Amino acid sequence: MTNQVNPFILADGKKPSCMEMLQLILDGEASAEQQAYFKSHMDKCAPCFKTYDLDITIKELLKTRCCGDSVPAGLVDQIKNQISLNKAS
Amino acid sequence: MEEAPKQSYTPTEKNDIFNNEFLPHINSMYNFGYRLTFDQDDAKDLVQDTYLKAYRFIESFQQGTNAKAWLFRILKNSFINDYRKKTKEPSKVDYQEVETYYNSEEVDRQITPDLRVESLKDMIGDEISNALNSLDVDFRTVIILCDLEGFKYEEMAKILDIPIGTVRSRLHRARNLLKEKLSQHAKSMGYKNTEL
Ligand SMILES: [Zn+2]
Repeated sequence: MTNQVNPFILADGKKPSCMEMLQLILDGEASAEQQAYFKSHMDKCAPCFKTYDLDITIKELLKTRCCGDSVPAGLVDQIKNQISLNKAS
Repeated sequence: MEEAPKQSYTPTEKNDIFNNEFLPHINSMYNFGYRLTFDQDDAKDLVQDTYLKAYRFIESFQQGTNAKAWLFRILKNSFINDYRKKTKEPSKVDYQEVETYYNSEEVDRQITPDLRVESLKDMIGDEISNALNSLDVDFRTVIILCDLEGFKYEEMAKILDIPIGTVRSRLHRARNLLKEKLSQHAKSMGYKNTEL
């Protein structure tokens, strides 16, 4: 096995924890190199493997269940009217 | 957001920016306002106030830059400066926790080992939304910005005026709290253990 350098290691040389790596992956903040490293890490790390699925599911559910409501009718017109009034004054 | 040089727009350009770059985000803005205040009228006021300010300061906005982040920042500041002051809701985040996060061995510990994907998928009502709403406002905010609205850490740092490291640690803590709530709920639904 090659001794792969961990691309998550910070500028100060500190080794990030599993949860810190997972968070960057989950939020799309990881580089391609970091993603590849994490993929192989997950094969060896049961907690990451398990938490990854759970975290992805929660993130997706938040997006689908907590968004999508429309703004109350009339608010856009109200705002536009107010701006016209401000301009006129 | 950055101290950009002031722009100079014609009235038509101003209207174009307002209609094409600002207004498309109004549903997200309202959702944010509502989840901060839990009151429709307060949310409407916050959104209206944000858009009026955005129009008034439109010349500090550089066309084609991140309008959504700029608007979220204005709304968040209005919430803190006007709304929160009015209602005197104290901030309850445990900042000690946030600061010690990076030097902590706790980070890797699994807080909710019994929360399962299957039990989450069975939560088909408002459970997820209620769990989010039950978090303290600063934790709720980072989840809204990251998971609902898809902002990057760097954008969140600018919206909230905090360092990226704090964004990450607060997000981590917020998600653990959310999992605790969901785990409690799963238990009450009868997912105590695997089927007997
Ligand atoms: Zn791991």
